[in-house]
Formats: sequence, structure tokens, C-alpha cells
Amino acid sequence: MSSKGGKQGRISDRKGAGDEDDEQPLQAVLVADSFNRRYFPVTKDQPRALLPLGNVAMIDYTLEFLTSTGVQETFVFCCWMAPKIKEHLLKSKWCRPTSSNTVHIITSELYRSLGDVLRDVDAKSLVRSDFVLVYGDVVSNVDVSQALHEHRYRRKMEKNISVMTMVFKESSPGHRSRCEEDDMIVAMDSKTQRVLHYQKTQGLKKMQFPMNIFHSTSDEFEIRHDLLDCHISICSPQVAELFTDNFDYQTRDDFVRGILVNEEILGNQIHMHVTKDGYGARVSNLLMYDSVSSDLVRRWVYPLTPEANFTDQEGRCCTYSRHNVYRGSGVSLGHGSQMEENVLIGCETSIGANCHISNSVIGNNCTIGDNVILDHAYIWHNVHIASNVAISQSVVCDRVVVKEGVKLNKQCVLAYNVVIGPNISLPEGTVLSMHHPEEEEEEDDDEFLSDDAEVGQSKDKNKQKGFNPAEVGEEGKGYIWKASSLDDTEDDELAHCLWGLVLNPDPESESEASEPEGPDDPVIPSPEMDDDKVFQLEVLGTLQRGLEENIGCDNLVLEINSLKYAYNITLKEVMQILTRVVLDYPFQQQGPELTTSQYVALLLPLLKKWTPVFKNYVKRAQDHMDCLSAFEEHFLEQDAHWAAMVKVLMNMYQLEILEEEMILRWFSQGATTDKSRHLRKNQGLQKFIQWLEEAEESSEDEG
Amino acid sequence: MELQAVLMAAGGGSRMTDLTYNTPKAMLPVGNKPVIWYSLNLLERVGFEEVIVITTKEVQKMMSTDPKIKEVKVKLDVVCIQEDGDMGTADALRHIQQKIKTDILVLSCDLITDVALHEVVDLFRAHGATMAMLMSKTHEFTETVPGQKGKKKTAEQRDFVGVDHSGKRLLFMANEADLEDGLSIRKSIMRKHPRMHIKTGLVDAHLYCLKKAVVDFLAENKSISSIRGELVPYLVRKQFSKVNSSKIKEDTDDQSQKNSDSLAHQELLKSSEDENLLQLAQERSCWNDHRGDMSEAYHGGKLRCYVHIMDQGLCFRVNTLASYIEANRLAPKLFEEPAVHPSAVISERCQMGSDSIIGEKCQIADKTSIKRATIGNYTAIKEKVKVANSIIMHHVTIEEGCNIQGSVICSHAVIGRGADLKYCLVGNGQRIEAESERTNEVIVGTDQLMEI
Repeated sequence: MSSKGGKQGRISDRKGAGDEDDEQPLQAVLVADSFNRRYFPVTKDQPRALLPLGNVAMIDYTLEFLTSTGVQETFVFCCWMAPKIKEHLLKSKWCRPTSSNTVHIITSELYRSLGDVLRDVDAKSLVRSDFVLVYGDVVSNVDVSQALHEHRYRRKMEKNISVMTMVFKESSPGHRSRCEEDDMIVAMDSKTQRVLHYQKTQGLKKMQFPMNIFHSTSDEFEIRHDLLDCHISICSPQVAELFTDNFDYQTRDDFVRGILVNEEILGNQIHMHVTKDGYGARVSNLLMYDSVSSDLVRRWVYPLTPEANFTDQEGRCCTYSRHNVYRGSGVSLGHGSQMEENVLIGCETSIGANCHISNSVIGNNCTIGDNVILDHAYIWHNVHIASNVAISQSVVCDRVVVKEGVKLNKQCVLAYNVVIGPNISLPEGTVLSMHHPEEEEEEDDDEFLSDDAEVGQSKDKNKQKGFNPAEVGEEGKGYIWKASSLDDTEDDELAHCLWGLVLNPDPESESEASEPEGPDDPVIPSPEMDDDKVFQLEVLGTLQRGLEENIGCDNLVLEINSLKYAYNITLKEVMQILTRVVLDYPFQQQGPELTTSQYVALLLPLLKKWTPVFKNYVKRAQDHMDCLSAFEEHFLEQDAHWAAMVKVLMNMYQLEILEEEMILRWFSQGATTDKSRHLRKNQGLQKFIQWLEEAEESSEDEG
Repeated sequence: MELQAVLMAAGGGSRMTDLTYNTPKAMLPVGNKPVIWYSLNLLERVGFEEVIVITTKEVQKMMSTDPKIKEVKVKLDVVCIQEDGDMGTADALRHIQQKIKTDILVLSCDLITDVALHEVVDLFRAHGATMAMLMSKTHEFTETVPGQKGKKKTAEQRDFVGVDHSGKRLLFMANEADLEDGLSIRKSIMRKHPRMHIKTGLVDAHLYCLKKAVVDFLAENKSISSIRGELVPYLVRKQFSKVNSSKIKEDTDDQSQKNSDSLAHQELLKSSEDENLLQLAQERSCWNDHRGDMSEAYHGGKLRCYVHIMDQGLCFRVNTLASYIEANRLAPKLFEEPAVHPSAVISERCQMGSDSIIGEKCQIADKTSIKRATIGNYTAIKEKVKVANSIIMHHVTIEEGCNIQGSVICSHAVIGRGADLKYCLVGNGQRIEAESERTNEVIVGTDQLMEI
């Protein structure tokens, strides 16, 4: 409560400076949890928000961004490893009494998603007016005050219709800081900046826009694929309420989709703000970590630069020299070592002789041996790297020991405390951790439970399992994590590897190669499948399901009947289609290259099984004829299988699906074409007919 | 000669049959000049010396006698096509393929515009475009249309036109009717042109610059019969199709249909003589037409369509009654000409607004009042007639005491004494009885009615 008094004082200060007269202090909701496991196994030891980026924890960038944009009160929501985040924040400058941004830390282990957080915001009624919503891994220098102004103006003009303003950064496709997974396309109204359609495009070949979005009064729309989602949104207090009302909203994407789809019902709208010169990106995977780190070192996020020491920690200042080389205090560099360009070296780090370092970030208190080559390497704190090591585009976490002669190929990750080497080359994409991947599965599926207890347990397990020297070297410690080991337990979104999707360097080759080669008239819609065809497929599906799930014939009949009404099919057609589907069934299932005997062997049990279905439909004389004509049609198509014809017909006769009288009538009358006449000359069929005739005669005689 | 001009003047005006029953669309008078004159004038002003006019025998005959057409200085190369041969505009182009030696500028005779034509042609030249076309914002017609009950909102389906960030490159074109399942755009197009503006309030002016190769392509490909309906959408689509970059694949195509298609397509891409130089220039230049990456200009696409969108100025087509009336109101303002023809005989005691036009050898008697009207040649207006907001064509006789307001009166009509016409359309050669009162009617001959 004591902080409140201070805050009031600052507000009045601000009022004096700015002209926001009756505005509430600007609030922000910072979600310091990603609710996914993209950074596993790294985040088993440290929450994502505290991972160092340019030797500063990511959450500090986010807080600095919020503060510089004029936020005066920030609610930090933590879940995974909340105590660590809390500890970090309490020590940081944000919690000093001089901070212009009051930080409230709210922790709960029950948050499972952004939705839960916002529902809690609503339940505790924390926000009083428009607020900024960000994740704890957003690095940005965007000035949102313009967007905020627009947002407030819109809300003033149109009575709270606009609930959210999303902040986007302009960046063309192929830009390094674009996250392929986050790639999206937005349809907007050019005049009002209203978002009409929002869609992730990953894996899509074609973008579909429903027509109803173009029905608004405007005559000019824009479809934009040149935007990067900064994951910064300006929300109205209603957003929290809407999350409460719609308990199925989990993510912001759910929310956006929900609002856009229900626009007509609820009347809520979402707008967007595009910034051209700001920087904003969410470090959502390691590839983004790589590009954001590079951008930071290359000073794209100015004024957030490594030498600025904006976190105001003691002894963390560094010098900036040309080619974007930053050196912390107490750095020692051996003879003949080169720092080519874009290099950031933390405090008290010593580097041996003849090293070659480019595009890399090295943390505090590291020791690096001689003849080390680092390119796009991200070395965190207290790492020991011996001599003759080569690392390219990899992440090496705190307290890792890399022994002599180790080579890390691209996209390797060495999680906390791993020891590797000597003399081993890790293949591309290797992920090593002190946590055994299987302990993951043994865990309660709940990844957000407190982990303290488990770490203790799992250590015991580690000892039992031992390390594989082939994987980590003779003196190594660590377990290999494979992307696939994650797949089983987690949902699709998380199944991607740690690094995320690589930006496709040549998008055209991929996106066009598989396209149809300039079809003449793609505009002309393909003729719609007629109802018969659809019905046939549905019947097939029904029968399949019937077999798989062992559904009773009564129920099958019921389903077919309902389909009949749904597609407006006459009884005659039902008869024919059903017959055709059943006769075709073995081919459908096994492929067309069945031999005749296999076909019969497969078909007969089916016929027996579905006899009640047939009996339900084949009642009148006409039904018999329809069934037989479908039978004939089927075999006219399958002329290689005429030998099966008799067996099938015989079977149908024995199962009392067809009556002999009708079969005889069909045989004598039905022939209309040469081919069907030819079919009737089939020897087996003739014999069968003969047999039938005799049987009839004899029965007549008896009668 | 850089461009050959082709003027399509064979259209019958099927959307305003009441007007075009006796006069073909090309010859309808607008501000006492035939519609076709405006297109010819447009071409003449920018310096064309010869125009190929595709038209019907009937129009040709009328053109040869029309005094205004005789004034036109450009040389007219009139090609007649069969009147009811169901020939589309593309068919017509195919018909005159022999005459086409260079790239062409095709326009429709019913276009009335004050566009700076070089804007379109410059786009065509600057980008080495396969096609460049003209569009404009939809014109709002304000006048009351005779015979139309109330303000009928034209429920025409909108065209969706997609252009790139510069608003010049044409990326997408479809009619709302074809988009029932939603608008669908390939991701590869969005990658090349990440910011697409979709505009709906545009009308096509039916003015196109086309490469000669397109005409040759038409000659090969006989299935295309209309420029607007088929050729233009085809070209727009082809910009992004794969075939144009893979010349090798073409011979392996087994389907003969496809083969001929891709052959025809090659035709489309066949470079003209200086294309090689252009190619070289493009290779040597660091210029490209997009932002965000350094790949070559146009992403290597050989087929390019551009559109010039007029945001101001006059541009519309005379193809409906409403646009015809609007044209008569606005077109005269494009040219500084005396409103009253010197040979017209006008009584001193006639009240005439400055916004009226009086044609050749008109006779206007005493005590008449003429406001915002166009009076055609050889028309006689008797005493005490009031004409306001109306269009009166040639050889019309209006007897004493008539009151004509907001109407269109076609040639050779006779309006009986004291008739009162409000918002009516009087067909060709009709005779309105004396003292009759008509409001909001379309008065045409019975034979004409049968035809509709």
C-alpha cells in the first residue's frame, strides 16, 4: 500500500507534463509464462522470461518497453517457476521505490493459459481502463502511445465497440525477424484499420477469405502479409470480461477469432496499428532467439542496446566499439584472438589466444580456451569452453562445460550444467540436458506444477541411468533429447523442434512446385458432386463404421434412411447404391488388384453380415429388379471377375435377399446391350440359372 | 508507330434497348455528337493518326454521313463485322490480326473520359507490361431515369480488383458472383506482393493496352471470345502461373490440350526485338519493384498486368440509360464549344439557360423556356414549350405548349400540342398525342416492345 502513495504522486507529475487530463494511469498485464514447452528442456531449470538475451533477462526488456511507453502499473503473472521470477523482479530496478512503473507480481500455479490469466484479471478486477497486454518474452521499442491514442479515440467515438488494438510491425516476407510459425495474414478495412480476418498461414497454400467480411460499407480492403505480430495488444477492460464469458478462449488467437466470427452478434471489433519504424518481436523459439539477439547486437532495438545497461545493474556496463563489438568490464582477450563483428562479451570473461568470434553473445564469467571458433553462438553465464572448440549457431546454457576438441554443429542446445567432450562432434540439432527425457513422461502430465520436489527425485534417477559416452563424450554428462520424444506426450503445436521452423530461404520453390501448372480456368468452379455421389460415399462410410464399431444392422438401416432424406434419394437409388457399395466394398478396402477368389472370400461374409440391411430394402418385386440391375452394372464394370458372379448371386439367393423368380425374370428380360447379353452367356451363370429353373419346376411339380 | 489504336464500335447497346432500337450505340448523340466521336477525339488529341474501327455496316453507313465524324482528322480504317454474328471483342481482334503490326490500344466506343491517356500508356511502357488497363471509381448517377420507379439501387455485383501496394500492378480480379465460396488467394502471390489492396468500387473503362503477342495468342487460342470477360482475367491469372518460368517442361506435356496451351503461352511471352536489351537492362539494374528482399524485379515474372485507377476526373461508359443521361449532362463540359450552333434559329423571346445545347438548324419559337437540355439537329420547338432537364435528339418536332421535364426524346418523334411529359422516354419516331399527360413512362413502338 505504501507504493500506492508514491504512484499517486507520480501520476500528478505526469499530468503536469502531458496533457492526459482525466486519464487513468496506464496499466499493463505482463504474462511471464508462455504456457508451452517450446524451450524445453532449457526451461526446466529457468523460466523462459528469465532466459538471458544479450546477457539480460528477457522479462527486463519487456518491462523496459512497458515503462518507456508510459505504463505506470504492471501486473506480472507468473506460473511456471514463479518464485524465481519473483526473486528476480524484487532484486531488479522495477521494484525500487524510484521506479516509475509499479510492478505487482501475481503468482498462481493454476494458470494454464492466457485465458486463465485474463479471467483472473477480471475476477480480481485489476484493470480499470485500457491496458497493454504483453508476454514476458517480447522485445520491443515500439512506442504504443500512438496506437493507444487511436484506440482511445475509437472507443470514444463508437461507444466501446473496439475491444482490442493489435500492434503489428511492417516487415516483408523473408525478413529475418519474421517467425514462420507466427506467419499470418490479415484482412483489414483500409479506412478504419479494422481487422476483418486474421489467420495463421503456416502450412497453407491458399488463403481463403469468407465473403461476409467484404460486406461492410467500405469499398477498399487490404490483405496484408507483410506484418509481424509483435504480440503487443492494447485491450479494453472488456477483454478480461469476454474471457470470463467465454471460458473456452485459451489464447489470444482464440479470442481474436471469436470476436471476428461473432462480430455481427456481439458487435465487438478489433483494430490494428502498424508501426513502420519500431522494433517488436516475440522470442517464441530459438530461431527467433537467434534473430532477436542479432538484431539487438546490431542495435535495431535502440535505445535498448547492450551497453545501455538499462537494467541498471552494478558492474554490468560494457563498452561499444566499431563493428558492433561490446566488451564488459574485466574482459581479457588472448593474443591473436579476433572479434570480427556483432560480438557481445559479458563481464569477467576471459578468452584465450587465436580465437575467432563473430555474431555471438558470451555471458558473464565465462572462460574460453585457445583456438576457439564461435559463430552465431549464444554462450550464457559461467560457461567453460576448452581449447580447439568450434560452435556455430548454438545455445550453450549456464554452467556448461565444453571440453577440448568439441564441435557443435548448427542448432545444438546444451542445457544447464551439461558437460560435453572431449573430442566429439555433435550432429546438427542435438539437444542435451541433465534431465532425462523419460522423466518427463513419468511426471504427472501437469507441467506447471512446482518442480522443486521433482528435481530432487529426478536426480536420483539420473544417476541410475548413467550417461552415454557415445553421445556426450567420455567425460560428458547429459542426455540427448530428441524432438520426437516430445511428440508423444504433447499436442501438435508443441511438437515442433526447439528451434522452430527455419525461414524458407526460397519460398517459391516450395510454394509453387506443387501447385497445379497454370490450370486454364481455376475460376470456374468444379462441378459440384451430385447428391448421388455424396450419398454413395456416405453409405460407404456408414458401412465401414458399422464394421469397425460393430454397429447393429438396425442402426445401419436407420442411418442410411436418414441419409436418404438428407440427400433426397429415391428408394430405387438407395437400392442400387447400396448394392453397388456392398459389391464394391472389397475393392474399396483392398485395392483393385484382388484376385477373384480373394474377392469372393472377402465379400461373402460381408453379405451375410449385412443381409438384414438388404432385406429391409428389398421387398417388392421392383426392388429385386433394381438390386439385380445394380448387380449387373457392377459386374459389367468388373469384367475380370465374372467368375465370382455366380457365387455372389447364389449367396444372395441362399441368404434370401433375392428370390429365384426375380433372378429368372432378370435373366430373361434385363439384357439390353451387347455386353449385358454377353454377361448372361457366362457359363457359370447359365448353369446357375438352369439349376434355378429346375428347382422351380420341381417345386411346382410338388405344388 | 508505337501503338495501333483499335476502336470497338460494334456493340448494340443491349443494356439500353429503348434508346438503341433505331440508332446503334456508337451513333447515339451525346451533346449532339455521336458517342463514338468522343473516343476518336480522345485518340486524336494524343496524336494517333490512324484508328482501326471495328463496327457494323449500319454504323459505317451512318458514320460516313455524320458531319461530326467527318470533322475527325484521324484516318479511319473501318472494318465491318457481321451484325448478328455473335462476335465478341476478342473475336474481333482475331478478325483483324493481319492488320496488327505492333502493340495495340483497344478501347470501346462508348467511353467518355477526360483521362490523361499517357498514364495508362506510361504504365504499359515503363513496366514492359503485357496489359495495361484503365479503371475509375464508380460514377454516381444522380439524375432521375425515365421509366424507372423510384431510386432503384443497381444491384449489380461488385468486381473485386486486387492491386499491389503501389496501386498499379493488377494482381487479382474477380466478380462477386464467382466468389461464393470466399475469396481465395495463393500464398505465393501474397509472398511476392505482401500488401494487396482489394477495391470494390471500381468500374472497368474498357480501355486496354495489349502486347502484340496477346493478339497472336488470341489467334492461336480460339476459345476466348471476349476481352473483358475472358482475356483479361486469363492474363491476370497467368501472371502467377508456373508455366511461364518453366519452358523445359513444355515438351514433356503429354496432353495435347495443355501442350497447345503452353505453346500459345510461349507465344504470349515471345520477346519482341528489343526485349533482349530490356532483359539486359534489368539484369544490370539494382532496381526492383518490391520491398523486403533483393530478388529480381517482378520476381522474374514475364507476364505483367497493370491498371491505372483514376481517382478524379470523368470516366464512364455510355451503356445504360442512366449513364446516357449523365453523359449528356457532363460531356459538353469537356469541350469548349459554343452551346448554340450558328445555324440554329432561335427566337429572341426564348428563355434559354446557359447549360443547354442547341444543335444545327434548330428552330426554336417564341416564349419557350429551355433549361439544362440538349436539343438535337433539325429539331423544331414551337411556341410556349418548356423543356427542362431533358435530351431531345434529332428531327424532333415539339408542338405548342408542351411541357417536357426530365425526359429523353429520341429522333423523329413528334410531341403533340400541349402534351405534358415528365420523366418519360419517347422512342424513335413516336407520336405523342396532343394534351396527353405522361409521367415516368417508357413510350416505344409496339414492334419494339415485342422485341424485348
